[in-house]
Amino acid sequence: MNEPDTMRPQAPRKTDRDEVFAEFTRSICPVCKTPVDAQVNIRDNKVYLRKSCREHGGFEALVYGDAEEYLHSARFNKPGTIPLAFQTEVKDGCPSDCGLCPEHKQHACLGIIEVNTGCNLDCPICFADSGHQQDGYAITHEQCERMLDAFVESEGEAEVVMFSGGEPTIHPNILDFIDLAQARPIRSVTLNTNGIRLAADRRFAAELGERNRAPGRSVNVYLQFDGFDKRTHLEIRGRDLRTLKQRALDNCAEAGLTATLVAAVERGLNEHELGAIVEYGIDHPAVRAVAFQPVTHSGRHVPFDPLNRLTNPDVIRLITEQRPDWFRKGDFFPVPCCFPTCRSITYLLVDGEPGDRTVLPVPRLLNVEDHLDYVTNRVLPDPAVREALEKLWSASASMGTATTEEKLRTAAGAAAEALGCAPDSCGIDLPQAVRELDDKAFMIVVQDFQDPYTLNVKQLMKCCVEEITPDGRLIPFCAYNSVGYREQVRSRLSGVPVAPVAPNALPLKDLLTSTPYGSRTPKPSTASEGDGSA
Amino acid sequence: MNDGHKTLKACCAAAYHSSDVVPLLLGDAYHPGGAALTRRLADALAVAPGERVLDVASGRGATALLLADAYGAEVDGVDYSPAAAALAQEAARAAGMADSVRFTTGDAERLPYPDGAFDAAVCECALCTFPDKARAAAEFARILRPGGRLGLTDVTADADRLPPELTGLTARIACVADARPLTGPAGYKSLLAGAGLRTTAAERHDDALLSMVDRIEARLTLLRMAAPDRLRATGVDLDAAPAVLAAARAAVASGTLGYALLVAVKAD
Repeated sequence: MNEPDTMRPQAPRKTDRDEVFAEFTRSICPVCKTPVDAQVNIRDNKVYLRKSCREHGGFEALVYGDAEEYLHSARFNKPGTIPLAFQTEVKDGCPSDCGLCPEHKQHACLGIIEVNTGCNLDCPICFADSGHQQDGYAITHEQCERMLDAFVESEGEAEVVMFSGGEPTIHPNILDFIDLAQARPIRSVTLNTNGIRLAADRRFAAELGERNRAPGRSVNVYLQFDGFDKRTHLEIRGRDLRTLKQRALDNCAEAGLTATLVAAVERGLNEHELGAIVEYGIDHPAVRAVAFQPVTHSGRHVPFDPLNRLTNPDVIRLITEQRPDWFRKGDFFPVPCCFPTCRSITYLLVDGEPGDRTVLPVPRLLNVEDHLDYVTNRVLPDPAVREALEKLWSASASMGTATTEEKLRTAAGAAAEALGCAPDSCGIDLPQAVRELDDKAFMIVVQDFQDPYTLNVKQLMKCCVEEITPDGRLIPFCAYNSVGYREQVRSRLSGVPVAPVAPNALPLKDLLTSTPYGSRTPKPSTASEGDGSA
Repeated sequence: MNDGHKTLKACCAAAYHSSDVVPLLLGDAYHPGGAALTRRLADALAVAPGERVLDVASGRGATALLLADAYGAEVDGVDYSPAAAALAQEAARAAGMADSVRFTTGDAERLPYPDGAFDAAVCECALCTFPDKARAAAEFARILRPGGRLGLTDVTADADRLPPELTGLTARIACVADARPLTGPAGYKSLLAGAGLRTTAAERHDDALLSMVDRIEARLTLLRMAAPDRLRATGVDLDAAPAVLAAARAAVASGTLGYALLVAVKAD
């Protein structure tokens, strides 16, 4: 005991791990898609998911850039709503039984119908692996009906259906499909487009505008919009589309359409343009929202480092850094309907003229946290405010829809009421004045979709964004793109075999080869038996 | 709420004539720290199921409902404003908690309850506005049973060091000018001690006040956006607000202004 250490042989010393073990969960092998156990660990205030496949070894990816917020947001996890119908049974467990299976924890806030695989662009980044391809599919009128019916059967009254692709505007029946949706109890249609047709075809824009004025219905445009640098356009879309995007938006404004700018954000490409995109959106009369999506590393994309990818807190930090006069930490709030780490939203009230804007993030007006804390499950004096905030902080929230605008009025009105001055004593009916601020409201969504590297069934089981398939299934978006469902559906609908897709991640470089569509697939020697688990 | 509330209401209208925006911004249904600080206060008080708790200046009832729902307490809320008490009562009814939470209109300096009726009492961001603080403290002590606990959260201020922007009538309504320091002869501890309430715990929560200043600033922006013409027409001077807010932030940074949580016990 008292002898100096040097007199003895060195005793082995225990060392501490360099990370906090936070969760045990399930994921998939990004190469062969076999379900595997996974761990979530925290290092340097960042959250990582780690897993290993017997055949293909270990994998690790960054899943959340702020561990403190990751843990904190657990309180904002809203109890799910049970859908009216499940489409599959539990057989092999998550994520192999999609969907929705009875173990799924949430209904579908948003249903997606991909109407085709064909596209008038061949973007280097496309999770759907679409393009000028002859061997894809386009759904029929009957298939679209069946898909919409499956959605309504599951939802009763559905909030939003999104038509996507491929490029949905080049499907010859796209207006017909929108009519089919509007004839059903589905409040809103979103059209996910690159804008080429909207820019060129004002009559098409007018047709959409007309449908946007249907009583109790709306049609909104979800426009790909990645930035302003020529390089951004060339590297993400393969073409300089800058004037075309402007024209598409001008045509939307003329046709009375509301647009959301949707930016795919990739490290080293356009991460410096986020503030400018927000400002451009605020200044354009057609634009009422911006959605930032870190590039989904499914389908076709540029090589990336899974340990240095963009996550929601990283995107929010970039927005804040690029427009420090408008934003600060805490202005975005996680969305409780899905898993709170999947999506964050803020709403802004905007005033002034271009170049001289006053921007007021709504979470600064209300203690959103007090209203959306589901773990302490408090009884609140103003349930209408909670309900309004729930609808606003939801995957189905969309500017240009009656529901979202009404709830925004409720929330801002409550903030005004909290000022405590009744109209009779102050001469200003502030709540009423605030409710008239409609056209000054603007929404920003940050959504990090999961890929085969980052997939965590804990999040997937509560996903509320579902791909609707022609055989009437509702498959969580991130499962559809990561687990092999997309390849399975495309193969079945097109009659052409589709190679299983693997992420174009730097650590997998030597294991992968190119598919005919430009995505990556395991080399025959490295792929295990079959084409994934789906 | 209390007498301050009455003054506040009166001043709210007056503010438009005096061109001062401070009281307008402070009439808030939520106190600094929000529900998180209320829970911390309830934990510090060790509120137990079945205990009778009084919320003085209960506003729209958020705290009373929380104490009943999450802590199982039997809660009375008293507020100077009949409108607030009615809203709170309706909220309790809507939440199905009318059996365990009751709201009454009343004055903090003449609480409408018998001696020793409560196991615990809370008062959040309100004592600083009561004109006769010693009287209010005596009332807290009176309605508590021997061994009963009082939980306060409130603005703390070193009155001699407050900048001119933060003094005067409107600042008094804004919980600032008549706020007390935590310690010292004029402090909250001495005030409570004078009423027979011995302070057993005190914590600083100055960040809650900074968040409140941020929220006030946001609401001011909202006011400008929503009703610029009418504001101009009524002669409200919004230009003074940034200086007041800046002075408040600076005062928090220098320790002149703050927010504190305090627990005191009535002797057995």
